[in-house]
Amino acid sequence: MYSIETKKLTKKFKDKIAVNGIDLNIKQGELFALLGTNGAGKTTTIKMISGLILPTSGSIKILDMDMKKDVFKIKEILNVSPQETAIAPNLTVKENLEFTAGVYMIKDKDKKINELIKLFKLDEVLNKRAKTLSGGWQRKVSIAISLINDPKILFLDEPTLGLDVIARKELWKIINELKGKITIILTTHYMEEAESLSDRIGIMVSGSIVEVGTSEELINKTKAKNFEDAFVSIATGGEL
Amino acid sequence: MRMINFAKRNFKELIRDPLSLVFEIVLPLFLLFIFQQFDIPADNYRLENFTPSIILFGFSFITLFSATLISKDRTSSFLIRLGTSPMKSSDYILGYIISLIPIVLIQNILFFLTAIIMGLEFSISIISTILVSIIISIFFISLGILIGSLVSEKGTGGLGSIIVQLVCFTSGMYFPKEVIGGVFEVICKSLPFEACLNIIQGTLHNDFSNLTLIHIIVFLIYFIAVILLSIIVFKKRMVSDNK
Repeated sequence: MYSIETKKLTKKFKDKIAVNGIDLNIKQGELFALLGTNGAGKTTTIKMISGLILPTSGSIKILDMDMKKDVFKIKEILNVSPQETAIAPNLTVKENLEFTAGVYMIKDKDKKINELIKLFKLDEVLNKRAKTLSGGWQRKVSIAISLINDPKILFLDEPTLGLDVIARKELWKIINELKGKITIILTTHYMEEAESLSDRIGIMVSGSIVEVGTSEELINKTKAKNFEDAFVSIATGGEL
Repeated sequence: MRMINFAKRNFKELIRDPLSLVFEIVLPLFLLFIFQQFDIPADNYRLENFTPSIILFGFSFITLFSATLISKDRTSSFLIRLGTSPMKSSDYILGYIISLIPIVLIQNILFFLTAIIMGLEFSISIISTILVSIIISIFFISLGILIGSLVSEKGTGGLGSIIVQLVCFTSGMYFPKEVIGGVFEVICKSLPFEACLNIIQGTLHNDFSNLTLIHIIVFLIYFIAVILLSIIVFKKRMVSDNK
């Protein structure tokens, strides 16, 4: 059983095809990076797989559950950390965690919250209002919140965007700790991040997935010097 | 449970915004106090008439700030995150409405306490007025949800201000519509704010002679239409904003 299985997944916005018949099979515990240039269809794909928008056609199965029939069951077991930090600005960090625990009706919420405080080292900002935190802290809190329901599938949409190098490395460490335990779909513009963290990488061009493989496989296939060159070669159809 | 959890969050967001408290509570209280310092020879400014007007004036800011909250939530990634959670549309809509009821209650209690200190006679009808006001406030909150679902955060300021002005000038709060007459009188009759004021004043005075069948029909049409529209538009927006 796959964690995520899509068949001919398509999304059209009026005349524009944003996602064009994607077939995707992602294993349980896998960290799958979805790469592509701006407008390639990564975020639209994630929004469909996370149940935020409906596909125009095609099917999505999450742990063998159908997205159309079991959408609320599926929503219990996944979580998303969106591109922008998604936290309640006038609530403290602790209140944000408590609020999200309430959204997922977590039974032993204090235990889970303390676990996340420890994992993300949130002690020093716990009683500060979210809007007063730096961008790095806000992103950290936003990602911590996305783990509140122990998701089986986690979508990280450009999680390290705008973070300094230390904050980025800290987050990589946490993501590495999560690897194997939960299925993670990662989108990023940092090639080094995709190469270092992911088990497999899918490259999207104009709404279609044109290549899937490990970073080594993609480098070998394009005969590139490094992964960044391999990505550029695939994304431009060998023009660059 | 999810609805209450969401309402708690919304209440905290609203109560921690000092500007919202100033306009929803302090400004109406100031107007209630200041207008009683002058001996204005008009029935509208008598304490038993002006206190209900101030309640309605406070509600117009409830519309403004609920619209701002919803618009902010929509334009941030906050609702995207919640959109992937098991929360249902009813949790959102009722969560927004329930979060504002305590603020409406605080407004009413403070306005009546101030009015009593200034000479309004305490009667049991004050309690029934508060209860009726809460029902009317649902119309103003729904109007806020509708505006917040339709326009951006900048737009909510403009539209919210129009609602505040409409409440001030078409409800009969400051002057009776007959003073201007003509088209203005027709506009006042077509909008729900005069009906709202007459219902609140009638409940406080225990005298509904100013409340006509037209008032009740106009209020009910707006009340039902705005609630239904706010639900439909909010649900549609939740989907289209995420595209």
